Amino acid sequence: MSPDSGKPACNQAMQRLHQYVDRELTEAEMTEVQLHLEDCPPCEKHFTVHASMKRLVHSKACPENAPQELLDRILSNLRTSR
Amino acid sequence: MNGTAGGLKVEWLAAAPVASTDPQPLALASMVSEAAEPAPEFDFAAAVQENIDALYRGALRMTRKPAEAEDLVQETFLRAYRFRHQFQPGTNFKAWLFKIQTNLYRSRYRKQWNAPQSLDDTEEFYLYQHLGPDAPAGDDPAAEALDELGVEEVKKAIEDLPPAYRAAVLLTDVEGFSYKETAEILDVPVGTVMSRLHRGRQRLQARLYEYAKESGVINEPR
Repeated sequence: MSPDSGKPACNQAMQRLHQYVDRELTEAEMTEVQLHLEDCPPCEKHFTVHASMKRLVHSKACPENAPQELLDRILSNLRTSR
Repeated sequence: MNGTAGGLKVEWLAAAPVASTDPQPLALASMVSEAAEPAPEFDFAAAVQENIDALYRGALRMTRKPAEAEDLVQETFLRAYRFRHQFQPGTNFKAWLFKIQTNLYRSRYRKQWNAPQSLDDTEEFYLYQHLGPDAPAGDDPAAEALDELGVEEVKKAIEDLPPAYRAAVLLTDVEGFSYKETAEILDVPVGTVMSRLHRGRQRLQARLYEYAKESGVINEPR
């Protein structure tokens, strides 16, 4: 079940959860959701978890850099394929 | 990343046409950047250096194996160089590279990509309900628990996602591509990207909750 499921305002906010976190809504839609979150602690907490999840994935899912040898090999290959 | 540019400037306007044998269309016509202007020449080596880390980390999460990731990235750049005349200067070069790499991944790992992998049966899981739904305003136990999780747990949870969902999450959350760009890279409608993000993130939350319990970051479910 979703936070306060059954309340139309909560349902509408929940439908926009991912788009809000991903900043894929229009400015007016972002404001609508923001106003709801300010008045609805359960939805606000739910959105906060999703925003934290996105930050977590961004910062910890892919910490590796490409090996220097790979870069050198690719540049070398490109030189010979010119 | 440091390295030598090595004089690999590509003259876009003069680039000789290459017979198109690539089965996947590579043009990303809608990815035009407003600020960019068509460049008379393009420093391909600089573009390699600028994008290699992003392509490698994506390839590593998708293949799970460093040697295979390196091979995928190397082939991606070679193919990009070969088909460079198809790239439209002024459009998003990083997205173009990711489209090439994704197409390569899909053709090399066709079995995994095409395996039944729907997460439609994933149970709705709301982490905040397991971690302090009654906490006072300002307290955020769920977010704090997530912050305690380490790189290994997050990598494991990501790699556990079916490839099509994993790719959507990586492109959107790690690389910061928009839904539209992700849809073009994956060659699916925007609605499919949204659906994969929704289901993929549900699964991620459930997995990370399990790992947080196993590692002692949290003790007991409420």
